[in-house]
Amino acid sequence: MKKLRLPTGRKAWTWLWKVAVTVIIGVVIGCSLTINSVTQPASVSGGAILPITLNANITANATQSSALVIAVLVPTLWNASANTTMTFTSGVTTGPQPMTLIPVGTPSPNGGGLSWQTDLLNTIGHAGNLIPEYEWIAFQSNAQYTVNNGANIDVVVSIQIKVPTNNVYFNMAYVIAESTDGLHSGSSATSYYGTFFPGPVRVNGTGTLLDFVNPQLSVIIPGYSTDNDIITIPFNSTVAANGLSQSTQVYLCATGYTTTGDSIKVCEQTSKTQLQALGAGNWQLDMWPRGFFGLSPSQSLDSIEYFFTDVTGATKVGYGAGSSPFSFTFGCQ
Amino acid sequence: MRRLIKINCALLLGFILFSCKVEHATPPNEPVKNIAGTWGITDATRNGTDLTSGFDFSQFRIVFTDSTYTIDSLVPFIVTHNGKWAFNDPQYPFSLIFTPTDSPSVSTPFLFPVANGVRNIVLTFSPGCPSNTYQYTLQKVN
Repeated sequence: MKKLRLPTGRKAWTWLWKVAVTVIIGVVIGCSLTINSVTQPASVSGGAILPITLNANITANATQSSALVIAVLVPTLWNASANTTMTFTSGVTTGPQPMTLIPVGTPSPNGGGLSWQTDLLNTIGHAGNLIPEYEWIAFQSNAQYTVNNGANIDVVVSIQIKVPTNNVYFNMAYVIAESTDGLHSGSSATSYYGTFFPGPVRVNGTGTLLDFVNPQLSVIIPGYSTDNDIITIPFNSTVAANGLSQSTQVYLCATGYTTTGDSIKVCEQTSKTQLQALGAGNWQLDMWPRGFFGLSPSQSLDSIEYFFTDVTGATKVGYGAGSSPFSFTFGCQ
Repeated sequence: MRRLIKINCALLLGFILFSCKVEHATPPNEPVKNIAGTWGITDATRNGTDLTSGFDFSQFRIVFTDSTYTIDSLVPFIVTHNGKWAFNDPQYPFSLIFTPTDSPSVSTPFLFPVANGVRNIVLTFSPGCPSNTYQYTLQKVN
């Protein structure tokens, strides 16, 4: 049997160094955070509270003191930063623990200078929501908690979001993290946050449905605008079979309805109404309604109706690829 | 000899005492921001999304004189009529105040950075819904 010889001298220091680095990495590595389930209603009435419960678990392989961070992906029109409350309970704390909104612009740990909100969007994404009017809001516990090496803690997070009265269909998403590592782990390739994508929630409210989930031929952006905003009118010709699927040029044919009941029609095939080709069957036109319809200073638009046409104007595509126009009502949140 | 040394010492002491002056250091004056001239929009965003490639801002012009401004070829902007302008603080301006001839004053955050050797005016405002924020970058037009 070969005798095991311990290294001596310089070799011993080399080994000692390697062991020490391994131990240090083991200590730096924080804990693993997992969202096991999310209880979220399929629908909620406009103006009501959307109640959400996250069941999560924290396992630690090193002693660490951090604040608990919970982030939620929401439509911007909810103004959820001002309309959300969050608390949590756990096996190592007594009673509901208060949590506070992380202010916009607060740098995320190891985030390369990015704010929590931007880092969440870049790292986690937008849960497949198709209309780019979403945001991450992040809350953190008011206190920091020391989690001992080897701890296994169940956490229940209660989230209450007061949603506005607007009709919305939106893919929710949740993140659990801690304030030391954030969404990255410094030099380590492993990250210790957890995510959960429970699917969409429907707000049964009023007005035009803002559907983030299902691809649509055309949804005006921003969803809340006046006639003095620059609005983007997109056309995704691949969503449904329509007369413009193979068209090389697409034009807007629109009618604006003023607050006094007048209508102004702009239906021509010129550079003014031509949509830009974005590729892959996607088109869009950025327009300023006041200028596009030539409003006088005393006129205001209440709504618009619109079709898309080919270069001759003979082929018209409306809502659902049918003959009814798309419609949009101007208004703010 | 001793007397000569005393005189020399007295002269040296006098020289040391009177060679020092109290220095009245004055901070350098911040130059007044001169925005007089004709400016056009080179970059525009809405809620962080670029609008420059999809919307024609090329005809827009705003002309600043020492105290007045005139606008040409309207796009959504802070004001819609000509009038007077002023900084909130001429030496350290953080806001640009527009006062149209027919309506109340409107204030907008003002930045005056140099990028690629060119002076820019950056204005942030909401001409429509308050939730929609626009940022225009203006450069002088020759």
